[in-house]
Amino acid sequence: MSLSLLPTTVVGSYSMPGWLERLKTEYFARRISRVDLDEIHDTAVKAAIKDQEVAGLDIITDGELRRDNLIDYFVERLPGVQIDRASKKFYYDFYDSVVEGKLPHASLGLVEDFRFLLANTGREAKFCITGPHSLSKRIHNKFYPTEEAFATDIARVLNLELKELVKAGARYIQIDEPYYSGFPEDLVWGVNVLNTLVEGVQAKIGVHICYGNRYGKPSWEGSYRYLLPRIFDAKVHQLTLEFARRGEEDLQLLRELVPHFEVGVGTIDVKTHAVETADIVAERIRKSLKFAPAERLFVLPDCGCFHLPRQVAFAKLCAMVEGTRLVRKELGT
Amino acid sequence: MILQFNHLQRKSAAATSEDVIDALYGLLEEGHIDEAQFARLRIHLDWIQYRRNFREPVMIMRAASEAGEDPSLVDVHIDTRQISPGALRGKLHEAMLRADPEAPRPDGRLVLEDFHSFRASIAWKFNGLYWHHLTDWEKATGRSYEQALPGGKSDANHVDAVADSVADFWTLVKDLESHNQLPTEIFVLEIGVGMGTRSGLWLDRFRLLDEERGTRYYSRLKFLLADYSLATLERSRPAVKAHLDLCSFLVLDALNPIKTLAFLRHKILHIHLTNVYDNLPDEELARRDGRLYLVQVRAYLPIAEADRIAHAFRLAVTEVSRMVGRLLEVGPDCFHERSQGVAFWQDVWKCLRLEERLVPLNEVTHDRLPAGLDARQLADVLRTAPSDLRFHLSSGALESFRNTVPLLHPRGYLQVQDIFISNLNDCRLGFQGPGKLDGSIVNWVNGVLLREVAERAGYDVHFAPFHYRKGSRTSILYTTQRE
Repeated sequence: MSLSLLPTTVVGSYSMPGWLERLKTEYFARRISRVDLDEIHDTAVKAAIKDQEVAGLDIITDGELRRDNLIDYFVERLPGVQIDRASKKFYYDFYDSVVEGKLPHASLGLVEDFRFLLANTGREAKFCITGPHSLSKRIHNKFYPTEEAFATDIARVLNLELKELVKAGARYIQIDEPYYSGFPEDLVWGVNVLNTLVEGVQAKIGVHICYGNRYGKPSWEGSYRYLLPRIFDAKVHQLTLEFARRGEEDLQLLRELVPHFEVGVGTIDVKTHAVETADIVAERIRKSLKFAPAERLFVLPDCGCFHLPRQVAFAKLCAMVEGTRLVRKELGT
Repeated sequence: MILQFNHLQRKSAAATSEDVIDALYGLLEEGHIDEAQFARLRIHLDWIQYRRNFREPVMIMRAASEAGEDPSLVDVHIDTRQISPGALRGKLHEAMLRADPEAPRPDGRLVLEDFHSFRASIAWKFNGLYWHHLTDWEKATGRSYEQALPGGKSDANHVDAVADSVADFWTLVKDLESHNQLPTEIFVLEIGVGMGTRSGLWLDRFRLLDEERGTRYYSRLKFLLADYSLATLERSRPAVKAHLDLCSFLVLDALNPIKTLAFLRHKILHIHLTNVYDNLPDEELARRDGRLYLVQVRAYLPIAEADRIAHAFRLAVTEVSRMVGRLLEVGPDCFHERSQGVAFWQDVWKCLRLEERLVPLNEVTHDRLPAGLDARQLADVLRTAPSDLRFHLSSGALESFRNTVPLLHPRGYLQVQDIFISNLNDCRLGFQGPGKLDGSIVNWVNGVLLREVAERAGYDVHFAPFHYRKGSRTSILYTTQRE
């Protein structure tokens, strides 16, 4: 399937409806069954896919609506990680989790999610997972001698999962590593871990690095300058970065990044409910084009739309698609 | 009959409590209360610490719905501090007459509005009037509003507390710098500046610390002084005159700081408020026999006071209500002589009372609750609370919190110094308002609900007692980012 110039996609998550939040919390309170919750998730995911298609995105995700947050969906599937199921009061809270022995290699069962996505869209599909660095920051490590050793073993387990995803037809996989920005000093070993994760995975691999989106607010501030030059050693094809909220300060870094990677440019601020116009999006893309050729750019929101009300998220995606169309037209495509 | 003690003033209230029991049984024996009525009564013995408040010494509160009054629920509140034993029986008798839906109502009130949630009451318009015309009020009383506070000064200006606040902030700034994450401009916001004393002390201290440590942060400060009242802002300038180059003065609604400061979203490192939340619009709920009720109020003047005010200001008593409306609309210029307008305002405010009733909430819909709090959260909070309970929603405080935290830098923090309850049991152990502080309203802030709303917004809140002054009732709310 060939993509248009400046392909549009989401970072991963789509708006989490209030009713789904309440039902997820009902599940934790043991007031609805797992079977019911799975059915509810299927329905919500189908609706998220449909919204992305109607908005006109080129690449679709499942909206990550089965996930409580960026960590727990993986933590509760990672073999060898113990979680305290009573530690959550609200579905969005993080589990308390611990690893006390070497992680065994076993499937996380993510392939089923991907198959569901494929079965419900005819468009290009992207599957997103949280990366080993971010996961290692949330799981209490009582076994491995170093964070790097722990994250590397997570990467080995996830590597098998990525290969299963590829076998199931995944052609575009995104690794989310927001914690890089909180712990820039970890990048020295974090890139090695990332390379372990993607070794032998025959798909387009993107890495999403932002400044956090927990509760719809940033967790850190700073400059993407910290990524350079270490990130150049990452054996991935694409970086997706947030620029809309943070302004243009870092845009010139594109000049240094695009020889090594495609860049997914954040053009929608997901931390405000104010809906951008297509013109604003177009202008943001034009500014990016001053530093990088269109052939190396993808167009995305800054981060997941998880915390936005559905009508706001949808309107923002529509503006993003329309803004991209404006620029494509100017570029004669 | 249920007799409920809502205070811990054992010695000073004990005698009155005995009088209440004597009076009630006396009324029963004399036939002024029948047995059925007696069985339904809930007598609340309160101790209202605010000498000026909105309550009669004995107040009756019935349940009411659109379909009419529900005689099955009758709350009688007795202020055991205000009531004198000699007046008790008469006041109780009068209250019982008001409790009986079939008995003719005793007159004696000039009603100034319909029943509303407290938040919508004209009492809050008086509160707004006070802050907008503070200078007029103070001129008439001859004392500043800080002098009118209990104790005559604000805990906000305690030198040691300010020094600790500065030290905490400096430590944060230093840490950010060590991680190469310190913004070029260091924003600090004070909401509710008072006389500017705290801001001045804070800036003096910060500059001193900065010079001592040689860190050069002071010149990067952008200190924002924000207040609802332009008059207050003007008065705060002298206190920060040594720092004017880095100060900005902003008229801002404490209910919605982000509306004014949207351009500083996620940029402010420290936000501080003192005694602001306790003065924001509020409303109350009550739970009786497992059912939730909204406490509605309507403002009135006791008719004797209305007569006196009318006479003093050469009005017909029928004109008093209209003149109150005009006062709230145009301020003290409602009279030809401004000073007369101020005198009228102060007199009405002094006499203003709130009648209360309970309206059942058949369904706790979102529009009944402050933004950020839903019915399920409320139910969770109430699950472990005393069964019969009356509590503040602190809707203004919750709204303010929700509209302030988006301004915080990811490593920034909010500190609120105020009177909080951090456990709903406290609602049964003392009076949480409303009281009158000079021309303004004071309510304790429901820290339990605030904690719930904060968690959903991604913040944990912690309450620490204000240990800098013995006997202080204030606490300091600290926010930390929720993981």
